[in-house]
Order: sequence, then C-alpha cells, then structure tokens
Amino acid sequence: MFKEFYSREIKSGLQQPMIYVFSILLGLLAFGAVSNDQIVIGGSIGNIQRNSPHIIMKMGLVFSLLGLFISTAFFNNAALRDFNNNFDDILFTTPIRKKDYFMGRFLGAFSLAILPFLGIYLGFILATFIAPAMGWVDPEKMGPVSIAGFMANYFLTIIPNIFISGVVIFSVASIFRSTAISFSGTMVLFLGYSIALSFSSDLENEMLAAMVDPFGLSAYNLDSKYFTPQEKNTLIPGFNSFITYNRLVWLIISFALLKVLYGFFSFEKRSGKVKKEKANKKDNTIFTKPIIYGHFSQFTDIAQCYSFTRIHLKSILSSNTFKILILFSFVQLIAILMEGYEYMGLKSYPVTYMVVEDIQNSTMIFLLIIMVYYAGDLLWEDRDNHLNEVIDASPHSSYVSLFAKYFAINVSILIIYASLSVLGILYQLGSGFTSIDLGTYFLAYALNIMPMIATWSAVLMLVHILINHKFIGFGVSIVLMFVLELILDGLDISSRMLDIASAPRITFSDISDYGPSVISSIWFNAYWIVFGIIVLLISGLLSNRGTSQSLLKRIKIIPQKMDPNFMGGIGTLFIVWLSIASFIFYNTQILNPYKTDDETELLQVQYEQKYKQYEGMLSPKIVDVDYNVNIYPAERNIYTVSQLKLVNENKESIDTLMYTYNDEWEIKFEIQNAVEVLHDKELNVKQFVLQKPLKHRDSLEIVIHANYITKGFKNSQENTMILENGTFFNNLVFLPYFGYNPSFELSDRFKRKEHNLPKRKRMPTLNEPCGAECEQNYLSNGQSDWITFETTISTSSDQMAIAPGSLIKQWTKNNRNFYHYRVDHKSQNFVSFNSGKFEVAKRQWKDVSMEVYYDQKHGVNIDKMLDAIENSLEYYTENFGPYYLKQARIIEFPRYANFAQAFPGTMPYSESFGFIVDLEDEEKNNVVDAVIAHEMAHQWWAHQEVGANVQGGTMLTESFAEYSSLMVMKKASDNDDVKMRNFLKYDYDRYLKGRSYELEKELPLREVENQMYLHYGKGSVIMYALQDFIGEDSVNAALRDFLTEYKYKAPPYPTSNDFLRHLQPRVPDSLQYLIVDWFEDITLYDYRIKEANLNEIDAENYEVSLQVEAKKFKSDSIGNEINIPVKDWVEIGFYKDNDEKELFYTEKIFLEKESQTIQIKLNEKPAKAMIDPKRLYVERVINDNSKKL
Amino acid sequence: MARLSISNLTKTYNNGVKALNNISIEIESGMFGLLGPNGAGKSSLMRTIATLQVPDEGSINLNGIDVLNEPESLRRVLGYLPQEFGVYPKISAEELLNHIAVLKGISKAKERKELVGYLLQKVNLYDKRKKAVKSFSGGMKQRIGIAQALIGDPKLIIVDEPTAGLDPGERNRFHNLLADVAESVIVILSTHIVDDVKELCSDMAIMNEGEIMYKGSPQNVLSELDGLVWEKTVERNTIDAYQKNHKVISNKMNSGKSVIHVLHHEQPEEGFVQVKPDLEDVFFAKTSASIIAD
Repeated sequence: MFKEFYSREIKSGLQQPMIYVFSILLGLLAFGAVSNDQIVIGGSIGNIQRNSPHIIMKMGLVFSLLGLFISTAFFNNAALRDFNNNFDDILFTTPIRKKDYFMGRFLGAFSLAILPFLGIYLGFILATFIAPAMGWVDPEKMGPVSIAGFMANYFLTIIPNIFISGVVIFSVASIFRSTAISFSGTMVLFLGYSIALSFSSDLENEMLAAMVDPFGLSAYNLDSKYFTPQEKNTLIPGFNSFITYNRLVWLIISFALLKVLYGFFSFEKRSGKVKKEKANKKDNTIFTKPIIYGHFSQFTDIAQCYSFTRIHLKSILSSNTFKILILFSFVQLIAILMEGYEYMGLKSYPVTYMVVEDIQNSTMIFLLIIMVYYAGDLLWEDRDNHLNEVIDASPHSSYVSLFAKYFAINVSILIIYASLSVLGILYQLGSGFTSIDLGTYFLAYALNIMPMIATWSAVLMLVHILINHKFIGFGVSIVLMFVLELILDGLDISSRMLDIASAPRITFSDISDYGPSVISSIWFNAYWIVFGIIVLLISGLLSNRGTSQSLLKRIKIIPQKMDPNFMGGIGTLFIVWLSIASFIFYNTQILNPYKTDDETELLQVQYEQKYKQYEGMLSPKIVDVDYNVNIYPAERNIYTVSQLKLVNENKESIDTLMYTYNDEWEIKFEIQNAVEVLHDKELNVKQFVLQKPLKHRDSLEIVIHANYITKGFKNSQENTMILENGTFFNNLVFLPYFGYNPSFELSDRFKRKEHNLPKRKRMPTLNEPCGAECEQNYLSNGQSDWITFETTISTSSDQMAIAPGSLIKQWTKNNRNFYHYRVDHKSQNFVSFNSGKFEVAKRQWKDVSMEVYYDQKHGVNIDKMLDAIENSLEYYTENFGPYYLKQARIIEFPRYANFAQAFPGTMPYSESFGFIVDLEDEEKNNVVDAVIAHEMAHQWWAHQEVGANVQGGTMLTESFAEYSSLMVMKKASDNDDVKMRNFLKYDYDRYLKGRSYELEKELPLREVENQMYLHYGKGSVIMYALQDFIGEDSVNAALRDFLTEYKYKAPPYPTSNDFLRHLQPRVPDSLQYLIVDWFEDITLYDYRIKEANLNEIDAENYEVSLQVEAKKFKSDSIGNEINIPVKDWVEIGFYKDNDEKELFYTEKIFLEKESQTIQIKLNEKPAKAMIDPKRLYVERVINDNSKKL
Repeated sequence: MARLSISNLTKTYNNGVKALNNISIEIESGMFGLLGPNGAGKSSLMRTIATLQVPDEGSINLNGIDVLNEPESLRRVLGYLPQEFGVYPKISAEELLNHIAVLKGISKAKERKELVGYLLQKVNLYDKRKKAVKSFSGGMKQRIGIAQALIGDPKLIIVDEPTAGLDPGERNRFHNLLADVAESVIVILSTHIVDDVKELCSDMAIMNEGEIMYKGSPQNVLSELDGLVWEKTVERNTIDAYQKNHKVISNKMNSGKSVIHVLHHEQPEEGFVQVKPDLEDVFFAKTSASIIAD
C-alpha cells in the first residue's frame, strides 16, 4: 500500500510540468550566476573561482531558500490534493492504512521536491565548460568541476532543507487542510532563517545563529568565515563543522516534529471550531419595505469605493496569512530591537531613526510579501469566492473596484507599519528613552515605504490582469521585482526613472534631519505614485468583467470603454506625470548629468591609455597654501579660492604643468605666465606651458578657484558632504591633482584584461634600500611634503565653521561668520572644513585646548570623549614625543559616513560612531575611547611621520595608531588582560575575515598594500602581542626612536624596514624569530589542549598536567598553508572561574613538539586551563584552546 | 409594463460549441421560466442578459435600454442571482447586503439599514444577520442570494438555477419570495426542474443546444401534447426494446418497475394507457434529440 501511494505520487509528479519547469529554472539560474559576471550569488570575487565548492555551497543554500516555494508546491499539493478535489470522503472510507497514506505521500513528494535541484549542478557543469569557451568568464576564474562539492551540497543543504521544510509544510497542510496555514509553516522557517541572520551580525551570537537557522546558511557562513580564497576553492565541509551539527540538530527536530504531527493526523474530517452561538439580542424591529431607488452620481463612486475598500480590508485583516505575517514582523522586530545596534558588544541609545531603520530593514520583506500576496489575492478574491458574477453585474465602474483593492493593500501596509511603530515607541519608552520623534516615524513611511508599496501594488495588479492566471501571475510578479534591476544593470541603465518605484532612500540624522535627498525623494516618489495611478487606470481598461476573456479580446474592446470622463481623467494624470517626468529629467539628466557604470569604466580606461605616459613627470611641490573657503549651507554651495605656493625641488627645470581635476567642482586656474595648451573636458585634464621654465628652487604662485554649486537634484545620491547642517569636506576633493593620478586606474584585474590593459601593481614594491620611490609619501603622493597653511573660512550667521589650526581671528561681515585659522606647525596638506550648528565643550590639558564640537542632542558622551583625548595626549607625549599643535578637536558630522578621520589637530567624527552609544556599562569595551585614541595617535603616526608610497606604508601609520590606541585602552583598563582579549577579538575577526575576502593577494604586514584588514586587524594584533613578549617599554622605545629619526623630515620617507631596523635591537635574540614570523611572513598557529588533569596535593598545592598540541603554518598570498616546525614560546594560563573572567596565573613555556605534556604547579585551585590565554597568536579556531579542570 | 426583447443572439465558444444559436425572444413582466437540460445554453443566455458575457451577434433591449452598448444602465435595474453564488469569508450577512446596496447606488446609510433589515426579515434571516454568510447552509445562502438580487428595486431579475440543492421547504419559501416581487417586473427563472416552472411561471421557454425549442405559456404547450402521451409500466430489462420501437420520452422508476411515457397519436400497443401530459413530458419531448428529429 505504501508503495502504491509512493509510486503514484512520483508518477503523477513526473507527468506534471512543474518538476521540469523548476529544474530548468534552477539550472538556468545557476548557469547564469556561474557564467555571468553581472550576477553574483555566493560572493565569487577576486581569487575565488566561479564554480568553486564554496560557491556551490553558498548557491545551494540560497537556492534552497528560494526552494521553499518549490517544496511548498510539492508538499502542499501532495497533502491537499484529495481534499481540494473532494476525493477525501471516497478515499478515506477505503481500508487504507494511515501510515501508508501519510508516509507514501510525504516521501513521494519529498523525492519529487529534491529532483529539480539537480538542475543546479547541471548548470554548474555546463557553465564550467561553456562560459570560458564563449569568453564570458576568464578561464582563470573557472576551476575543475567539483563532484565532491556537488555531493556535499546536495546532502548537506538541499536534501536536509527540503526534508525540514517538507515536514513542516506537509504535516501542517495534512492536519489543517488549508493552504494558507501551510504557507504559514513556510513562513515560520523563513523567520528562523531571518532571525538567525540578524543574530549572526554580532560576534557574540554567531554560534547561536549557526544553530537557530533551519536552512544552515548562518552555520555555513560561520564555517567559512575565515576561509582563505584557496580554501574557498578547494575545501568541502567535513563532519566536524557547524553546518553538519546544524543539520543534525534540525534533522532530529524535524523527525521529532514529523512523529508528533503524524500523531495528530487523522482521516476523519476536521470538525470545524464550534463557536459558541452568540445569543443575538432578540430584535423585534419590524421593517417595512422602504421605497428607495438607487441614485447614481459622482458621490456613488466614492461610496462604492469606500465600501469595497472596507470589505477587502476586512478580508485581509481577518485572514490567517495576514495575522501570521504581522506576527512574524513583530517577532522579527523584537528580536532585532533586543539585539540592537551593536558596536563591539555595545548598544546605542534607541534614538528614533535607529528604531525606524530597524523597522524598515527587518520588516520590509514581510511588507513586500503582503503586498505581492494580496495584489494577486484581492484580484482573484471575487472569483475564488464565486461572488464575481454578482459583483460584476452590479452597477459600479471597474475602476472603483480596482482602486478599492489598491487602497486596501496600502492601508493594510500602513496598519502594519503603524503597529510596528507603536512597538518601536514602546521599546524606546521601555528603555527610558523619551525624546521620541513622531515626525521621523511618519516620514519614513511617507517617503520610504508608502510610495514603493503604492507603485508596486499597482504594477503587480496590472501584471495579474494581463496574465489572468493566479499562480503564473504570482510567479511573474516575483520575477519582475527581482529581475528588473538585473536587466537595467545589464543594459547599463542607471536612471531611476526606469527603475520601478526607485527613489533615493532617506537617511535620518540628528544633525541634518532628512538629509539632502529629501527633495529628489519627493519628486521621484510623486513620479512613481502618479505612474501607479495611471497603471491602475490602464488596468481598469484591461480588467476582466464577467466571463473570462483572452487578453487580445480585452484589448479589442478597449475603445468602447474609453468614455470622455475616463479620457479626461487619464489625460490629465498623464499630463501631470509628464510634467513631473520632465522636471525630473531636467534635474537629473540636464542640470546634473551623470555617468553610468560602463561609461565611468570606459573613461578610466581612456584616461590610463592617454595620460599614463605622463606618470612621474616632473612637477613642483606645494609648500604653502592660503585657503579661502566660503560655505553657504542653505544653498549647499561652496566657493573656494586657494593660493598655492609651489617650489621646483627637482634639479631639472619644469616647463609643462598637468592637472587632473574633479568635475563636480567648477575649477578655474590662475597661473602666472602660463598658457593653457590642453583641456580634455571629457577626462578632466588640463595642461599648461610656462612661458618661463621653472628652474631648480624657483617658486610659482597658483590660484585655484573651485566652486561647488548645487543645482536642482541628482539621479544618484546627493552629495552627503555638503549639507544644510553638518558640512564636512576636505581640500583633496577640490584641489586639482598634479600630473597623472594612478588612483583613477581600473583596478579589477579581470576588467583590465577585458580592456587589454597591462597588469597593474597596487603599490610600488618595498625595496631595500629604498630608491626614488621613497621621495613621496603615500598620503600626498609627491604633491607636497610638510607645508604651512592657513584658512579663512566663512559660513552663515547661524553656523560655526572650523578648519585645522589655531583660531587667529573671528569676525562677522554681511551677516556671515568668518574665521581665520593657522596651523601652528608644518603639517601634511590635508585640511578639513566643517560647518554646522554646534555646541562646544572645551577642556585644557597643559597648553593644548581639547575641544568637542557636537550636535545639541548628543551631549551624553562628551565628557568621556574629552577624557579619551586627555588619556591619549598623556600616553603619547610620555611615550612617543611632544605634541606640536595647540588644539585637539573632535567635530561631529552626520551619519552618512561612519568613520573618524585625523587632520592636523582636528578630527571629524561621525555621528554614528559613538555619540549615541550607551557607555554606562563600565565593564564593556569603550568604542569611543578606542576611536578617539586611534585618531589622536594619528597626530603622531601620519602627522609627524608618514610612510613612503611603497608597500608597508600604512603599517607606519594605521598599525601604529591601532597599537597606540590599544595601549591607551590597556592603561585605562589597568592592564586587564581579559578585557583586552575581549577587545582584541574584534581585531582578530577583522584580520581573519579580511583575508578571506582578499581580492588579489594577502601580504606580510611589512608589505601591506593599504589593506585595512592587514594594517588595522593584523597590525594591532601582532603589535599588541609583541609588547607582551618584549615589553611595552621596548616597543614604545623602538617607536620613539623611529619617530625621532623621521619627525617632520623632508624626503626620503621611511619604509617599514626602517621601523624594523629600530625594532630589531629591542628584541632579545631568543625572540628575533617573531619579527620574521609576524612582520615578514604570514604565519598562523593552531593550539589546543587535548587533555588536562588536576591533581590536588593539598589546599594550597595543585599540580596540573596538560597535553598540548601545537601547529604552526606559513601561508602564501592566497592561503596555501605549509606546516613548519613549532619552536615558540607560548603562555599557559589558569582561570579561577569557568567564564574566563579571572586569569590568576600565566606561565610562558617553550613548545618544540607538535604534541607534548606539561606539568605546572599552582597555589590556588584552577577552574580552567587555557593555552595562549591572552590571545596573542593568530589562530582561526580558539574554542579548543581551553579545558575545564 | 416592462419588456425585454432579445433578437438574433448568437455566441460560439472557442471550442466550437454554439452556446446561443440565433436566439430571439420577447419577455414581459411576470415570472418567466427558462427550462432546459444541463448544457442547453441557459446560463450563457442569462449571463449575456446580465452583461457578463458579450455575444458575437444580436441585440438585447430592456425598456429602451440597449443592453449590449449601455451595460451600466442595465446593471442599475438588474437583480441577478447566478448559478454559483459564493460569499467572502468572514463577512456577515448584513455587511454583504449593505455592500451590495452601496454598489446599487443606495448611498444613504439610513436607507440602506432599513432596506437591508427589511430584506433580511423577508428572507427570514434577520436573526442571523451578524453571522458570516460562509457558515450558512445552502438554503440560507440562497436566500441571501435572492435578498441581494432584490436590492435597489430592479426592473429585471434573473435567477439562474436557484433551487438546485434546496430541500422542499426551502424551495417553497424561495418560490413565495419570487412570486411576491414578480408582479410588476420581469423575473427570469432559469432551471432544469420542471416543477419550478409549473408552479410559478405564466410564460416560459424551453431551450436546448443553444436554441429556443418552444416559447409560450405552460398551458399552451401542454395542449400541444394533449392525447399524445401514453404510459405503461414495464419490466426494466425490456426498456431497450421499447426504446427501439417507440418514441419513449421518459422512463421513471416506480416501486422497482419502470414507467415509460411514449409519444404517439394512438395507443401504441397493448397495455399503454393514455395520460394527461404534464410539463415534464413537454420538456422531454422538446429536448430529446431522437424525438425532435422525427
């Protein structure tokens, strides 16, 4: 009997087109993703092959998520077919066994549902051979076909995922006999995935997320988090992996669930809930036949539309699908709010825009599902309920019912948003945060959500009307929403006017409110909303009334429906729409023309081809600048005049000057005795010939006028540096670049190959000794060395303007505020300009004025910021050398960017980077301290010395700044190793994750090519470890010696080798290998305590014996590792507690073997032993480093 | 006096089936029965009159309204109960009728309340007005169906197969309701149940294969067959033989034996008794292919 049901299920499934359609679809998707550079699923970038096992895994996981809908189709069908065909009465009265029926159907559907996924592998195989042959993908990016990868993927992701979702969908559908409820089962799984995803964004919750995710995506992400590119190309998950554990957990859960749900299943008819009859009040009103005639007017339409809307809304709001979706969005939002805004384990205050963004981010998917679902459902509601004939034959216009559906969808979305907002507000109040900004709640809806829903719901209704088949209509709707952008991308179209419902998203900020994009957002939204209404009217023309008719017939009868009222209405709307469209077109294409991605790429190629020949041409260097900057915040205009003094430092004379400028700014040059000989307006290059050549040591004055004029609005994001409040920009955005700027070159090596460009070096090689390449540093690229500059800056009367240096003079003229700043010492030509409405907090430290300029809403952490500046000044002046400036300023800027940056004595600092973080908890890491200490350290490492423009340059600034900041933190924590380890964890993560995503090659630290994961992540980790090994004083002494040699010194600039030269003498002979391992090679370690035994001799004498395993690897640039012999000093530590809070004893031991046993005597009873307890070595797996005793 | 005239209505479906074949018919106030077997084209005709389907050819006119060109005007005076009458889930009887009243142009809430109350009382569902229609029995649903068709004082009421599935009591109530309103307006009752027409209609038509086989009063059509219908009780296994030799128009079971009616101008053979023709005989006579061909 079982066999009968099973084979019947399979046979009938194989006869249906569904299985073939899905197979082909998945195959095509996989083929497209592997063979096309535009489609990236799974992150195949850089050195990762497009068909590597890692990509197979990722794609399999993503597709099995999409496959939820495939399994819904198969399992739901298998469970409900008999009921839907009313065959249940007949079938269930025959003597079949429940087990045979249930399991036969279930396993049949399961066997069917896993089949289409084989299409993925076929797609992979085909793409592997076809794509390189056709020239679609560089052969280098294609590895061998990985059958083992397919197997692992199929058995670890596809089969378990289909099984898990199948159990839920099939059981729920069989028991409740309702598609809507089985759909909810699907959504529960999806919710698990989505919550896991939001958990996994934080280091602390990664493990939890890996287990919670029913699809295993988060588990595999954790497994592969630190995979090097090489591992991504070759590794296949083994048994000891999170994904395997996750699968085991979920398979057990689903078997258990299957057993439980099977118990509930029964052939008997589900007795409907017997509701208690509400005793109707006996109503004795006697109605007599009223004499009423229908009366028809404009008002009737409105009344009808209102009545329709009410009925639809009621059916949406009372449907289970809606209730479940709203419940899920609540669960999701609560999960995210509770987990909330993490920075290194810190939470920020729940300011309104954060909560609003959480609502938008976390629940958008549910809003979209509701919209897509009901756009189809409402259109089919009358027909599905067999009420269509009565409704269709009633005297209402088709537009009325269409608009009512449109309103019902939009109102239901509003209801969800409003209830989520209430939840958000309650959360804010519950956290004791009372300055709730209702306007932000409203505007986020009005500008970010409503227009999108309004536009898409109209478009999707048209889709359904055109297709006139409910399920195909849904399919087309979903495909349209996902594919539209891909198509536009493929066609290189970036105009929002063609991208349905596209409008600049509003980012809220306490400083600049709704930001600069609000005007364009309003226009684009209006454009799309009117478009949606026109689409609705057209839908009305095409809609089906009465008996179903083919699209062709419906089109044929359109002329009959075009009465004058309709034509007038749609005509007027069309004119309105066209007017908005032309206004937007004028603003985004004529006033503010833009370049598409392909155009930009082509210009980069042309620039390189045409001007590369001028690279390294002689040019004078800037020695002094007088900046005159005038900021008009209300207009968002900036007028600058910069007087540059240049000197020819070269032996040879210079007769030609070349500039590359930024065409977002209007640039005018005034150069004494020079003639413009070339102006390449497309590539923004100018050349001048000097009438009198500039001889050695001769100087030249140049005046540059650079103006930023805001005209209307743009298609892309507005300039977020120049704002009505909180403007922040620097001199490099408007100063033309001398000569050829290699940073404009196309960097992606495959794109370069496509355009026949030669291989490009990211940076000049580190040579010993350093040659001409050391004549310039990596910050100013030979444009200048240490210079003097001053700034006159003005802004509107309600704002304050700040540039680096001491304030010399301040005055008011023409109702504007003027300031004159001069830097007290020669500096880098790197100048910030800020303007805004600021509160100012000041504190004096010796002769340095410490200042924080902040928004009035952000006063909470200001004292801590001043403390951080003070701590930094103290530590750095004591250990590295004097501070040569008279001020140290923090200036807040809006959260469009999330960074802080050091200019001479002046450090702009993003609103989102600590101003609203809750620092009440003393135990936690203090991100504000860390960031401020880092930026302050740059006043030494970048502003007193700076690396040459060769490999390793950023080690001398960024790694040192990170190290310095760690030392300030360490001092503030009273040398608390445990706290520092918790802090370092983020640096480890940054390094290990970074190398996993390396596009070209990982380098040893001393050859770092401006790779952030190296100079921040690895740099801080190994410098910290170094000071633990050789002593803080020794590292600081090496740094101080190095700084003293190069402080404000003219070229040649130092390289990382120059630092190592100072470091070497400070390192004892026994530890010299550390310099090689850490700075000159890529070295990784793997330690573990295999066994640990505690022997209690008496209450004060304990003996611990540990069996320790140690491995050491050297890695090449893409992650190929070779084992090398272990010969290292490693610490063994003991904790008093299991939570690793109190580290009471550490001892350094020398490891010489891969496995050895160690005996250690202790005076106190340890709870836990750990190898490398301070986490000084770079290890990818650390949870095997400790053992409970 | 209302008048509905239909002329030369033709509709051929994509699969080649001629649902309406050049139908012309005049209908006046009162109850009009449209009788025909399943698939005769009754529903196509009903739907076409109700503006839900566009014919290939022909015209329909109600009191001067050109129905095919001004569907909106017809809809304002139409009450329609289709063969399939479903309802929205979770919507109560009162809400549903109220909604349809709005659609029929009754914009004032107070008037609607009164009208809906009146109709609910009339169909005897006033006590259940707050309950979801979805939970109603077939008969109750059908009563809601008729109530909605009566909203807005229609001039033309079309009810398509209204009594299918109703128990005798329900059916009776239903007939009474229809009879009440049929005095001044046209009520078209489409059915394959002969008794519906017999009990209610003063005028009728019989339809088969897209054509009107007969139009006139039930009495007239009965007199056509006067003296031509013969009845005999026979063994079941002999029916084939009778059907071969005679124009058997009906064949019913009675106490385990078959009672056949045969059409003939004189007694066909021994044992046949002449009976008074009833409408069912007419129905079978007019719609059975073998007999029409003769």
